[in-house]
Amino acid sequence: MKIEILFPEFCNLYGDMYNMKYLKMCMPEAEFIETALDDVPAFTKEDVNMIYLGPMTEKTQEKVIARLKPYKNKIEELINKNVVFLFTGNALEVLGKYIENEDGSKIDAVGIFDVYSKRDMMHRHNSFLIGKYEDIEMIGFKSQFTMMYGDNKDSYFVEVEKGIGINKESKLEGIKKNNFIGTYIIGPILIQNPLFTKKLIKAMGAKEDTLVFEQDLMAAYEERLKELKKL
Amino acid sequence: MKKGFRFYIALWGAKAGTIILKLFRRNATFFPGKFALKICPDFIGKIGKPKTIVAVTGTNGKTTVCNMTEDILRDNGYQFIDNKYGSNIDAGVATTLIGGASITGKAKKDLAVLEVDERSAPKIYPYLTPTYLVCTNLFRDSLMRNAHTEFISSLLTKYIPKETTLILNGDDLITSNIAPENKRIYFGIDRLKTDGDKCINIARDIIVCPKCNTKLVYDYVRYNHIGRAHCPKCDFKSPDIDYLATSLDLENMKMALKHGDTEEIYDLISDNIINIYNIVTVITILKTLGLTCTQINESLKKQKIVDTRYSEEMVDGIKVITHLAKGMNPIACSRVFDYTRKYKGNKAVIVILDDLHEAANGSENTAWQYDTDYEFLNDESIKQIIIAGARYLDGLVRLEIAGIPKDKIVYQRDELSAVDKLKLDGIETVFVLHDLYSIELKNAIKHKVEIMIKNSEREKEEKGE
Repeated sequence: MKIEILFPEFCNLYGDMYNMKYLKMCMPEAEFIETALDDVPAFTKEDVNMIYLGPMTEKTQEKVIARLKPYKNKIEELINKNVVFLFTGNALEVLGKYIENEDGSKIDAVGIFDVYSKRDMMHRHNSFLIGKYEDIEMIGFKSQFTMMYGDNKDSYFVEVEKGIGINKESKLEGIKKNNFIGTYIIGPILIQNPLFTKKLIKAMGAKEDTLVFEQDLMAAYEERLKELKKL
Repeated sequence: MKKGFRFYIALWGAKAGTIILKLFRRNATFFPGKFALKICPDFIGKIGKPKTIVAVTGTNGKTTVCNMTEDILRDNGYQFIDNKYGSNIDAGVATTLIGGASITGKAKKDLAVLEVDERSAPKIYPYLTPTYLVCTNLFRDSLMRNAHTEFISSLLTKYIPKETTLILNGDDLITSNIAPENKRIYFGIDRLKTDGDKCINIARDIIVCPKCNTKLVYDYVRYNHIGRAHCPKCDFKSPDIDYLATSLDLENMKMALKHGDTEEIYDLISDNIINIYNIVTVITILKTLGLTCTQINESLKKQKIVDTRYSEEMVDGIKVITHLAKGMNPIACSRVFDYTRKYKGNKAVIVILDDLHEAANGSENTAWQYDTDYEFLNDESIKQIIIAGARYLDGLVRLEIAGIPKDKIVYQRDELSAVDKLKLDGIETVFVLHDLYSIELKNAIKHKVEIMIKNSEREKEEKGE
């Protein structure tokens, strides 16, 4: 099993890197490849089971877009081949059509998904989320300068019960296509959602999906879910 | 700037409001300024300001730096205005200026020391030009408000007036590069025995050269991105330090400060590196304002870190230390965890970090806990960790992921009941690590711990141990 973490020296905000550290604890036999921004991504040279990209600063988004653009076709091919992807926070935006600044200027993105995002740097959005992903309930937190626009009704990740989707008018969060999952949820999403983590591990083809500290993770998840439902 | 009718309505209304609030014994540290800004949005620009303004900003240490600077100035007979008891955003600054102005809006004093929230730069600096702007450091802070250091440093660079002289932490590569066109003075601390070759912290926000994207070479790392580094490809490097603390002698609590060809000896009032940085910052400000070494040091010796931030007390042979660890601020918490593990002897640690302020608005986003070095609490000398509060189950999971054996951890929702499980056998120090918004709870826990220590000593005596 091979898991590639893209650009961890840059894309590591909001504690998201612990998603990978935790996965490493759950999958000690897996090989984790950390690809620096200057390196050629491993997914272009060999088979990988999962590709992870975490949240980043706005300047870094431009660097990452430039780095991934030449591999647009390869990324599409891997999505079609059911390789697992997890893009968290504003990482999803780099695969959209463009990112628009407050002054109307646009940064062309990789262009895999038919969505775009708009920045509003002086108004940060913070919220929590509860919603359905397949047969499980997801919880999460959002903290972002951007909102995403475009049609994701056939390709959303979570149907939101409380909170917002890709923008304030939407109840459909993120993008899911085959095993590609992109979400604005930030932080330790795999630690806070043990049922989702099990699904992710299974999607990679692992036979065993037992999690480290599973009982304690489940207790924290159930407590949080109960608390958020009351709000 | 021409004053006009709106300005006077705002000024007189705010001054009248201040009197009324004081009559009702309410804090007049925010609302007068808020009122004035509502009536006259450019009020800060129009009101008379002291000739010399020292503004202090940065992620960590700004309150301590302001408090110490003000106490030493006061001790030396200086007259000035400050926002010590007020807020550090635009309304708090406006309130301070209103208090320091005459009925016609003229400044009554020549000096101001203002703590300024870094996120408030766009609302303050277009209207107020600090003579000196001090930046203590820039780290990851509340992600919900401050996002990341690139956002905050670019705000500062955009809004700091060109005429302002900067006083910057030269050991912080992010801080030292804000507003590059401005005149600047750097302070720093020379290499320490405890500095390492690589970063052991989770958060490190400057890894590559901001000029050419090449991976930086660190000459040494103190913590997170604090240290000295250079780019192997271009001329980017840590700046030369103007006020450099050398020869830190923690046994005798002294340090030397080099400036040009002179070297002066100062007393240290804390052995904690974050407070040593605060002391060096304060000395640099005061030297820049023209105070002498004797003036500064005689007053510095009388200083104490305020009880709400740090306190220690010996109770029947066991030390009880309370230490502020600002929740949602990963670097502040990591520094406190590091201090705790390095503190001599066996310890029990009570961790109360839930942000009650956030909890009141819903549920706390605990993502920050995964930018925080909880791994530092995984230390042989820490015999027990008690984690309590609404997020106790999240805390338990975080501690387990940090590698701490579950049998060392007590986890419980109710904070005071959790303290009942404190084991004092073989413990030399009990640390109570608490958030800014839990001061009353911290006091209650401290009181309970002290009673438990006394009871345990009494029981031992009764048993003849």
